[in-house]
Amino acid sequence: MSLIIGLETSCDETSAAVVADGRTVLSNIISSQVDLHQRYGGVVPEIASRKHIENVMPVVHEALAAAGADLADVDAIGVTYGPGLVGALLVGVATAKALAFAAGKRLIGVNHLEGHVFANFLAAAELAPPLVALVVSGGHTSLVALADCNSFRLLGQTRDDAAGEAFDKVARVLRLPYPGGPQIERLAAQGDPAAIAFPRALSGTGCEFSFSGLKSAVLNYLNAARQKGEPVNEADVAASFQAAVVDVLVAKTMQAAKMAGIGRVVLAGGVAANSRLRSDMAAACAAAGMTLHYPPPVYCTDNAAMIACRAYYQHLAGDWAGLNLNAVPALRLGEKKY
Amino acid sequence: MLILALDTATLVSSVALAAPDRLLGELTLQTRKTHSERLMPHVEQLLALAETDKAAIGAIAVSIGPGSFTGLRIGLATAKALAYALRIPLVGVPTLAALAFGCPVPGALLAPTMDAQKGNIYLALYRWQAGDLEEVMPPAVLDHEAAAAELAARPGGAVVLGEAVALYGEAFRQAGVALAEPHVAMPRAGSVALLGARLLAAGVRHGAMDLEPLYIRRSEAEELWEKRRSCRSR
Repeated sequence: MSLIIGLETSCDETSAAVVADGRTVLSNIISSQVDLHQRYGGVVPEIASRKHIENVMPVVHEALAAAGADLADVDAIGVTYGPGLVGALLVGVATAKALAFAAGKRLIGVNHLEGHVFANFLAAAELAPPLVALVVSGGHTSLVALADCNSFRLLGQTRDDAAGEAFDKVARVLRLPYPGGPQIERLAAQGDPAAIAFPRALSGTGCEFSFSGLKSAVLNYLNAARQKGEPVNEADVAASFQAAVVDVLVAKTMQAAKMAGIGRVVLAGGVAANSRLRSDMAAACAAAGMTLHYPPPVYCTDNAAMIACRAYYQHLAGDWAGLNLNAVPALRLGEKKY
Repeated sequence: MLILALDTATLVSSVALAAPDRLLGELTLQTRKTHSERLMPHVEQLLALAETDKAAIGAIAVSIGPGSFTGLRIGLATAKALAYALRIPLVGVPTLAALAFGCPVPGALLAPTMDAQKGNIYLALYRWQAGDLEEVMPPAVLDHEAAAAELAARPGGAVVLGEAVALYGEAFRQAGVALAEPHVAMPRAGSVALLGARLLAAGVRHGAMDLEPLYIRRSEAEELWEKRRSCRSR
């Protein structure tokens, strides 16, 4: 049995997890800071970094204890080195390097976005590439094809805002608290998704996304109603906005899977927790004879179990990092910088 | 017992290995490379150069600030993880005290400083008395010109150490305040190790679970938020 301990500190969750053979989660400790950042309407990097240095060792210790493991028992240490907030990433990277050196273990630098894709493996024992992944979060919207566990091919990404970013911005103008995604989803459940015809950008043209126009359309709609003194049904706005985002994500994903000739689709990232996206994508995949996987909600948001899972497959491939591993805040999907 | 010490509070990257009465080795570089890339390789290289196995390290000493927030966190994350994995004691050493510890002039008023951004400095005052370093004023944030005026007004003057020497040397010199030479003015892990040894001997221990940087200042976002809130309530 191969044990990997994973560390994740790229944004506002401090997390450590112990995973056996890449698939069996023995522990997954997550210390979230969401409450701390709420009053600022978003993640404040310096506050996040301060919380990470406070939490990182207790979280590591708890992950080992909950797994009934000692640091001496693990085979390797995997850590997120990008993308993310540089000050936040550095806490995890420095911790992982010192643990690896002191305990004489291999160090593995993990790409956070690849971790999100691999979160799918934690809930589906038989799942394996080839597959097409839609990575969709507050910072990213990308379609990627995996021929095997270690080769990623970018099929398309957003030209401007990430889908999750659009959710957060629309939530802000509707005066919903941060983070906006779950709030929009809750409000949308009471609205009519066909009430307002918001635009679906770049439909029918390849695998690229654009969400900034949609965000402006929602703002314009609200401003126009305000100027005319007309009442706004906010649930309808939320539902119609969500439908516009989900329609585009589903259509582009189906297009990408057909282009790549791959019949297995996975969802990854925070927005993969959106139930409308899950149900619409499931219907589209079923209609096209494709299979769909998405992680349970706890593995959709940032967590170290997915990092340990990704690290395991790098470990098998002998893809180790040196003690000079650095944080790479703008690391891209499929990119390697060490 | 050997002590491994780290100081990454400034652009200076410094690691040292010491016994309580002897500095075995110190690797100190003042270049623009990031601490993140260099710190662990330097620890590894220093141990190799000193022909010492990591199992021989008996304690970790780390410079806890004030200083660069990110630099401090790299040092502390590294120190805490080393102490945890090697199962050895950890001691946090105030960065300004370590600077004064490296300048043992009996009776002189020592004024170690760190950059606190926007014309401000962190300043503390120390004096050596009967072989011990005494704190005359705990670390505080001051405008550098106000600090220069205050030090100039002290009878007997003071010697400025730390980042203000390079950043605001002219202002201090014009006020008639003495400046330390560059090799004494910079943070050195050797001083952190030997002051750490004294603290350890006095029974000081910090937890690998909960040692935090000595920031002095809150984050800018928190300061702004407080300011906005107090404006609104007024």
